[in-house]
Amino acid sequence: MKESGSVLVIGGGVAGIQAALDLADRGFRVYLVEETPSIGGRMAQLDKTFPTLDCSICILAPKMIECYRHPNITLLTYSEVEKVRGSAGNFTVEITRKPRFVDEAKCTGCGTCSQKCPIIVPNEFDMLLGDRKAIYMPLPQAVPRVTTIDKDSCLYFTRSVCKICQKLCQAEAVDFDQKPEKINLNVSAIIVATGFSLLNPSVINEYGYGRYKNVITSLELERLANASGPTGGHVTRPSDGKIPDKVAFIQCVGSRGLGRGVSYCSSACCMYATKEAILIKEHKPKSEVFIFYLDLRASGKGFQEFINRAKENWGVLYIRGRPGEIIEDPTTKDLIIFCEHTVRGEVRRLEVDMVVLCPAFIPRESNNKLSEKLRVKLDEYGFFKAEDASLVPVDSNIPGIFTCGCCQGPKDIPESVAQASGAAARAVEVITLTARREG
Amino acid sequence: MSRFPQGGPQTVRILKELSKRSLDAKKLAYCDECGACTGSCPVVRIFPRHFNPRVFFNKLFLEFANVSTETDLWLCMMCYRCHSRCPHGLKLPEIFLSLREMVIEQGYLQDVPSKLQEILEILREEIPLSLVYTWLCLRPGEEEPKRDKFDTAILDALQRHIMDYKRKEVAPSPKTTKDKIAIIGSGPAGLTAAWELVRRGFIVTVFEALSEPGGMLRVGIPEYRLPKEVLDAEIEHIKDLGVEIRTNTAIGKALLFNDLLGEERYTAIFIATGAHRSRKLRIEGEDMEGVVHALGLLRQVNLHKQPRLGEKVGIVGGGNTAMDAARTAQRLGAKKVNILYRRSREEMPANPLEVEEAERSGVEIHFLLTPRKILGKNKQVVGAECIRMKLGSPDESGRRRPIPIEGSEFTIELDTAIIAIGESPDTSFLPNEIKVTEWNTIEVDPITLETSLPGVFAGGDVVSGPASVVEAIDAGKRAAISINRYLNGARVKFP
Repeated sequence: MKESGSVLVIGGGVAGIQAALDLADRGFRVYLVEETPSIGGRMAQLDKTFPTLDCSICILAPKMIECYRHPNITLLTYSEVEKVRGSAGNFTVEITRKPRFVDEAKCTGCGTCSQKCPIIVPNEFDMLLGDRKAIYMPLPQAVPRVTTIDKDSCLYFTRSVCKICQKLCQAEAVDFDQKPEKINLNVSAIIVATGFSLLNPSVINEYGYGRYKNVITSLELERLANASGPTGGHVTRPSDGKIPDKVAFIQCVGSRGLGRGVSYCSSACCMYATKEAILIKEHKPKSEVFIFYLDLRASGKGFQEFINRAKENWGVLYIRGRPGEIIEDPTTKDLIIFCEHTVRGEVRRLEVDMVVLCPAFIPRESNNKLSEKLRVKLDEYGFFKAEDASLVPVDSNIPGIFTCGCCQGPKDIPESVAQASGAAARAVEVITLTARREG
Repeated sequence: MSRFPQGGPQTVRILKELSKRSLDAKKLAYCDECGACTGSCPVVRIFPRHFNPRVFFNKLFLEFANVSTETDLWLCMMCYRCHSRCPHGLKLPEIFLSLREMVIEQGYLQDVPSKLQEILEILREEIPLSLVYTWLCLRPGEEEPKRDKFDTAILDALQRHIMDYKRKEVAPSPKTTKDKIAIIGSGPAGLTAAWELVRRGFIVTVFEALSEPGGMLRVGIPEYRLPKEVLDAEIEHIKDLGVEIRTNTAIGKALLFNDLLGEERYTAIFIATGAHRSRKLRIEGEDMEGVVHALGLLRQVNLHKQPRLGEKVGIVGGGNTAMDAARTAQRLGAKKVNILYRRSREEMPANPLEVEEAERSGVEIHFLLTPRKILGKNKQVVGAECIRMKLGSPDESGRRRPIPIEGSEFTIELDTAIIAIGESPDTSFLPNEIKVTEWNTIEVDPITLETSLPGVFAGGDVVSGPASVVEAIDAGKRAAISINRYLNGARVKFP
């Protein structure tokens, strides 16, 4: 099935992937633009999903591959949107493909180049906990399955020596002379699905993130718990590699405050902290896991039951209260949490091996630039604004441009996917309406 | 939990009145009762049974009349730590202050002396500096004219307690062990530890570099905030218990640190020397006549010297010391007192209450500017060249970094420049075995306060950098517990 009309999807996370697949399956042409070398986004970084405890990458990877193989989808990874002109039904978009210095058509993804590359740098995909090479595959399930050269750390680009990868590549895919490439597209509608960032919890300085090694963020924990992560799936303490016996989660770090951080609720933390607590229990059933919460917001299908299971079957301990301070024992690197158990009105000192902070979801820094290019409004926090949040939640103020997923506010995966399908349906409407007008 | 007033009509009326007095009281409606205030409060750590700000403010909404007699109301020491931890940035100390005034002015608390008696008894169980504590906490008589009813009631009651206290005789505490403990520094941390340890039967000697004991309580806090008579009475009592205080004995000069453990045979040492070294601006002209350091000025005034200041005084810095220096300069006869601070009001480290009081007494605070050069004639300060600043991205302290705006230089006229940009500890007298951080503070185990040298403990400002009196008292208490454990051969870890 082939229909006239095409859509640009910005962002290759789960929302972008879902929107692209929906549209492509209906026969429309889709251009999926992703800033990083591979699609997958945040969901690819997660170990499990709630409330079903499915392996995250196992349910996402088939969709990623489908995007790659779908005849109606053009994947533009490692690319950025430069300019957007026109209106609904007829947008002209200029896209820059950043040079990855590896020919996508030739590379077989064998990985020999990465094995032999002498430069080791922290891996962004593993939240800088693991390493990668200067020529790398960002994640094992990368789509497209090709390597990319990181210009900033590659020996050839920094000191014009080496070129080992080029010598070893049997497919002759490494091309140091690749230049940025400009692509002009004509699309009928645009779907924005650029996702979110996490607040750097070092602003909440009493929790010591950045100062204390064993205070980590929830996303770092996801990578530690993941079998393809830096520790091979062992949840270990960054300070000494010991498997922790006592772990505490702290919710609302930077969320729900009128003072520091952001004032909104980050919506997914209650559930993912519960999920991560279960993961730790699965890895080491005898460990003790505490979750410091303010309110448990389990507003989704099967969510409350999930929390009940965590309490009953797994013995996760929920403490209502926000810790006032964390201090580190300089010799053992254990952490001591000063807190009030507000239900009991008891002041406590809790000693734990590791603390996991659940930082606020914040808008991406690039939202400002992108919103200017698209002439789309942002809300007071910097998320993309829905024209009418209650009745047409995926429409932006510009007809023909839709937003979905976490780029318009904190969300969990099911909600993002639902919005993505909604945005795809709205895009189809634009295409058919404009086609009818013209025809 | 609903934050609408749940008490009767009286509670509703009182809460309205309270929000008029303190803007932050209105914000209490947003409180999620997360307990970050209680979890971080140093007062809670000293008096866990008597103080819980979260519970207190929760009760406030239920029935005001019950709250007016709670002891919680009178224990907050205004360190503002809760304010820095509160997700909504509530200024709980100010609400406490307004409430205290209201309770007395509107007659909810009739018998102030007996209430104070009750508070003092709670305090005396745990700390030696109960009167100093109440004085600093209730802040009576700081303002002219007096805040009428509140001040009169509190002052009368306090004076009476001081008289009683002076009259009370203290029997020396029996010595039950031969262990000798040296405490370096006679500030709030040192005195608290000495008091705790002497009551446990140890022989305690406190070494003080200055001519009078008290540390920052003596030389850092101006007379108008804490009458020295109160401090003297309390130090007298600690001495009566059997603590020996050797003044004019600076460790490193009169006596070497290593001798304490060696010849003098002390079995444990507690270092509580505070942070007395003023930081320098590191700009041109700083060594001229007429440039003084705030701490030096406060020390001179407190040790009954009369330093001469000019008519136009400029103070550089935005901390509590800057505020104290400004108001002291006013009392010394300066006509015009200006504070120059390089960031904006939001980032000011000074206690908001102090800032407000300084402004009310006529001190002018200028934000977003810093001196570049101190100008002089014949080695005498005549002015300063200043530059305007703007705020950039947050630095590691979480506050926004000031960036100079080039080309915005201008000069101001000054007779005296007072530098108050922070204090740091002096750790030069310590042996190399004791690890010191890059900020010149002593590295200790955060729970036991033991340094890298076994048997030597440290606490207070010398560990944390400049902080509040109550935090020093807390450190003194914790050190005493650890030293007791150490000398009794118990595990020092996790008391």
